[in-house]
Amino acid sequence: MSNSSDLSSRLSPKMKMADAINQYHSLLTVLPRLGIPLGFGEKSVEQLCVEHHVSQTLFTLISRVYIEQDYYPSIEELRQCPMTDILHYLQQSHQDYLENKFPHIEHHLNTLLEPMDKKYSALIANFYQEFKKEMVKHFEYEEEVLFPYMRQILSENEADSGVHHHKSAFQQQHDDIEDTLNDLTNLLLKYIPAEVSSSERVDMLLDMYALSNDIGKHAMMEDRILLPYIQYLESQSHD
Amino acid sequence: MIKIVIAEPSQMLRSGLACLLRDVPDTEVVFSTDNLNALFSRLPALHANILIVNPLLFEYSHRATLRAEFDSHPELRLIALVTSYLESQHLRQFSGIIELNDDLQRVKSTINQVINTLQSDGDEPDTDPLSEREKEVLICLSKGLKNNEIADSLNISVHTVITHRKNIVRKTGIKSVAALTVYAILNNLIEEKDII
Repeated sequence: MSNSSDLSSRLSPKMKMADAINQYHSLLTVLPRLGIPLGFGEKSVEQLCVEHHVSQTLFTLISRVYIEQDYYPSIEELRQCPMTDILHYLQQSHQDYLENKFPHIEHHLNTLLEPMDKKYSALIANFYQEFKKEMVKHFEYEEEVLFPYMRQILSENEADSGVHHHKSAFQQQHDDIEDTLNDLTNLLLKYIPAEVSSSERVDMLLDMYALSNDIGKHAMMEDRILLPYIQYLESQSHD
Repeated sequence: MIKIVIAEPSQMLRSGLACLLRDVPDTEVVFSTDNLNALFSRLPALHANILIVNPLLFEYSHRATLRAEFDSHPELRLIALVTSYLESQHLRQFSGIIELNDDLQRVKSTINQVINTLQSDGDEPDTDPLSEREKEVLICLSKGLKNNEIADSLNISVHTVITHRKNIVRKTGIKSVAALTVYAILNNLIEEKDII
């Protein structure tokens, strides 16, 4: 039926990767994190996955999180997906934020703040630094606590108790980070005086919206894939 | 509570759908029927918000103008329950579409999306700038005061402080106290030296 928004019919493994990206731009940030370089000519999603040793199930799973707002994968789908690869992907995303996305936004921010009165610019710069610190702390928590824990239960399939508090603490953090990013976007959009160069400001805002979208998807992957799977594994091991 | 009406010829589908809807919070199936006569005679008294209807109940010649049949219920949102092929221009009259092979999650999300359009309808965007009272609350917040301290210093109740805070967040789109402080300084409500 033409009204179906079922992704499986829209993003098929046989589809040309170039067509997929042209249709769903936000997937562009996903490729480097999976180790799929651009310049792939006419190759299909399937061909590129095989060529770069990326699980096709993983690619589909990530793509659906990016494309479908209401996508909650079932445990069955998650069981078919190599979880350690998801952890690797999330870790690559952290690195991408730190090495590319943040420096890029900082570059815009510095240019934008330069002509402003110091007492204002310092304040905004400071706010940004606080946001970044929050993000870094969040990444560290995941990489030092959550991911190792997950690798452990994956390898032993055996959970130790007392870890159930992770979930709530974890989601709270996501909400805070997304709120802070949203606050910063609104300050830049609405309240910084108009005399600041508008093209720089537009570029920066476009980057902020893209980052915000990407971080939202990143959080969705953790909330809808990682945490339900951890709970599933924990429940299995208690049986 | 969102009131839902179901109009679908198959009893199995009617009951199945009503059963799924029990898992959608704040909704209630107030009436379900297999025919249009019963639907149109009951509809005026039901004050329903959403009608989930199989378009096949309408004769083919009426399907293209199906929405017009509900002109006397302008607030009612229509969701199509699609059990076989229907022309896409007919389906465009609906706020949402539920298909036979949709899983529970998708059915829920379709209904929730339609519910969201219902709720956002009454919300005019708030284009007023902050009121004098809201500015005072904001200044206190920026200085690091807590709700009860703000209430004391402005001589209002804590409840009122919270209401002002909600309005400030709604109008500015800014949630954190740190960012609100930046806002206050950018708008010359406070001086940087006032912040602790």
